[in-house]
Amino acid sequence: MKGSHSLDRLRLLGAAAWAAVAVSLALIFFVAREAVAAMGGQLQRIFYVHVPSAWIAYLAFAIVFVASIAFLRTNSRRWDLLAHAAAEVGVVFCTLVLITGPIWARPVWGTWWQWDARLTSAFVLWLTYVGYLFLRSFATDPGRAGRVAAVVGIAGFVNVPIVHFSVRWWRTLHPQGPTPADPSTGSGLGAPEMLAFFVSLAAFTLLFAYLLAVRVRLGRLADRAEAVEVLDARDRHPVEATA
Amino acid sequence: MSDVAWLFVAFLAVWAGIGAYLFTIAARQRRLERRLEDLESRR
Repeated sequence: MKGSHSLDRLRLLGAAAWAAVAVSLALIFFVAREAVAAMGGQLQRIFYVHVPSAWIAYLAFAIVFVASIAFLRTNSRRWDLLAHAAAEVGVVFCTLVLITGPIWARPVWGTWWQWDARLTSAFVLWLTYVGYLFLRSFATDPGRAGRVAAVVGIAGFVNVPIVHFSVRWWRTLHPQGPTPADPSTGSGLGAPEMLAFFVSLAAFTLLFAYLLAVRVRLGRLADRAEAVEVLDARDRHPVEATA
Repeated sequence: MSDVAWLFVAFLAVWAGIGAYLFTIAARQRRLERRLEDLESRR
């Protein structure tokens, strides 16, 4: 009964996320106006998916950070599952940031990539969490891998503020973007564009919550299958299991 | 390539990427459910 309720909630969250995505796409293409040529004109619309993807990557890696600390303190599998799921979803969104950025840069800057502070630190962030996932996939001792991965998850988060503030700390080609104090500063956005941006941000956040919940559920299912497998092996080879 | 074509490629990459990730999760889930059913039927 409890399972069916949680599945219903998951489906509801999925429906809400996709509905928000549909609204945000309508706003991006039919409400937001074309940007000035210096920002890429039509291409500036990539910003409405590039920036929310980066926000989700930050959020996901912050969850990895908190869940990893909680796991090391409590040794509870629940936190480990959450950290692993958040890292995987975070890598997906960080990959999208690293794909959409160069697609915008190629026609606007005339090059796919620049090894400047923002792009390099974002690439290092991506590599760190890809390494985290590899560590978990190829470890022979899952318990130890969970603890080592938690340390990587905590240490890797140090790079998130570096990525975010790199455009202010160093001279980079990357646009500075809005600040919380003055959201329109540096973005060249008016009210319709800000609306499209914040709705897109909300839609991506809902989508992230949905993907995270689905991924945590998958982790729980894998744990259950493993537990049944152990019991099954014990039933078939009781002497070896007790030895 | 025109600006609109670049824009199309960027949005395609985002939604195809998220779609592909959802597809792999669904495939992993189906595989696990089959394994679980198989194990539970043996017990």
